[in-house]
Amino acid sequence: MNPIALTWVLVGKDLKIEYRSRQAYLTTVFFALLILVIFNFAFDPGSPATREAAPGILWVALLFPGIIRLNRSFQVEMEEGTLYGLILSPADRGVLFLGKFLANWFLLIVVDLLVLLAFVIVYNFSFSVQLLWIALLIVLSALGFSAVGTLLGAMVSTIRTREVMLPVLLFPIILPIILPAVNGTQEILLAQEIQSLGRSVELLVAFDVIYLAAGFVLFDYVVAD
Amino acid sequence: MIPLYFLMVLALYGAFLYAPTEREMGEVQRIFYFHVGAAWNCFLAFFGVFLGGVGYLITRKQSWDHLAASCTEVGVVFTTIVLVTGPIWARPIWNTWWPWGDPRVMTTMVLWLIYVAYLMLRSSLPEGETKYKYCAVFGIIGFLDVPIVWFSIRWWRTIHPVVITSSGAELEPEMIHALFVAVIAMTVLCVTLVMLRMAMRLNSSMAEEVTDAVQRV
Repeated sequence: MNPIALTWVLVGKDLKIEYRSRQAYLTTVFFALLILVIFNFAFDPGSPATREAAPGILWVALLFPGIIRLNRSFQVEMEEGTLYGLILSPADRGVLFLGKFLANWFLLIVVDLLVLLAFVIVYNFSFSVQLLWIALLIVLSALGFSAVGTLLGAMVSTIRTREVMLPVLLFPIILPIILPAVNGTQEILLAQEIQSLGRSVELLVAFDVIYLAAGFVLFDYVVAD
Repeated sequence: MIPLYFLMVLALYGAFLYAPTEREMGEVQRIFYFHVGAAWNCFLAFFGVFLGGVGYLITRKQSWDHLAASCTEVGVVFTTIVLVTGPIWARPIWNTWWPWGDPRVMTTMVLWLIYVAYLMLRSSLPEGETKYKYCAVFGIIGFLDVPIVWFSIRWWRTIHPVVITSSGAELEPEMIHALFVAVIAMTVLCVTLVMLRMAMRLNSSMAEEVTDAVQRV
């Protein structure tokens, strides 16, 4: 089987698992919505201050459910010992990484776009073409997030305290992705004119490439046993 | 050990007695000598973590892991020194404990978070090859992340004083001497601490081997 077809088999497997156990996936989405609502109560609802903080709130609501998503990605592999099956299979380790990464990326984007939709409604922003730019920032940051997250997720999957270890390891590392994403979102939603959005997108793309390459190379050492 | 004591006393003398009081900032500026000395050693120590990680993944020899682990511990201590001395100076001078917009402050903070996370990962994994491998991988990513964090924060504006520029240092000669001695003293301290921790790790793994051998008999 050629590597590309093999990657798609792996992606298909993960998507099928999530489709059949929709419960867990929907809980993640629900959790994200909860964050949006809680922040709206933590600040004065509908006040200008809340509006100012809205881009930051959106990214908190995108990042924390992302952690749950990544934890689950390897949890399902551990439960039935399928990870060992995958490692023992003749598939290349790089293909394993790409399969897990692509599935995580796709599943994250779907959650994130649903959160964005809810965010626009709850925080009273208008539906305009500019939202497509935020969607682009989301897609790009989800890429780096899942690249590093897939690598670290595989690493912590054997640790007893993995639920808390993953964010502790992941958040400091992916801070360079969070910064341009939040700044870009701020500019799109709040600024009078757009100046440095292009720069944010450039930085995101550059960091994504680095993280993806690092994940691809280092994954080999993480799962080789 | 003796040269280290000598150097530390010399560095203290240089910073507190030899160097003149800065005209604008006053006495608080004297913290600068140890702040800079510690900051440089953070990078040195974390480079050691990176080196240890790469060395371990290539050779699979435990001594490389000893190096990485010891460098992380010492590096975190030095980063903590930087993060404690920085605000003490910044409060009277910049009128803020923590300037969020500054790339150096932010990068140092992220560095601290990354390597404290490394220590947490270490302590939550059971002893063995898997642990060394995972720590090596995380140490490598952490170090690669440093320049990326830096660039990401750079396009926020910076207020950190750039003391040493390409045109030379803008300091009194006595200040440069004091800084020089402080940096050397801190570097020797850093290397000594790393070596002590490595020796300790080596001894404890040897002790374990002996215990195992005795139990088998």
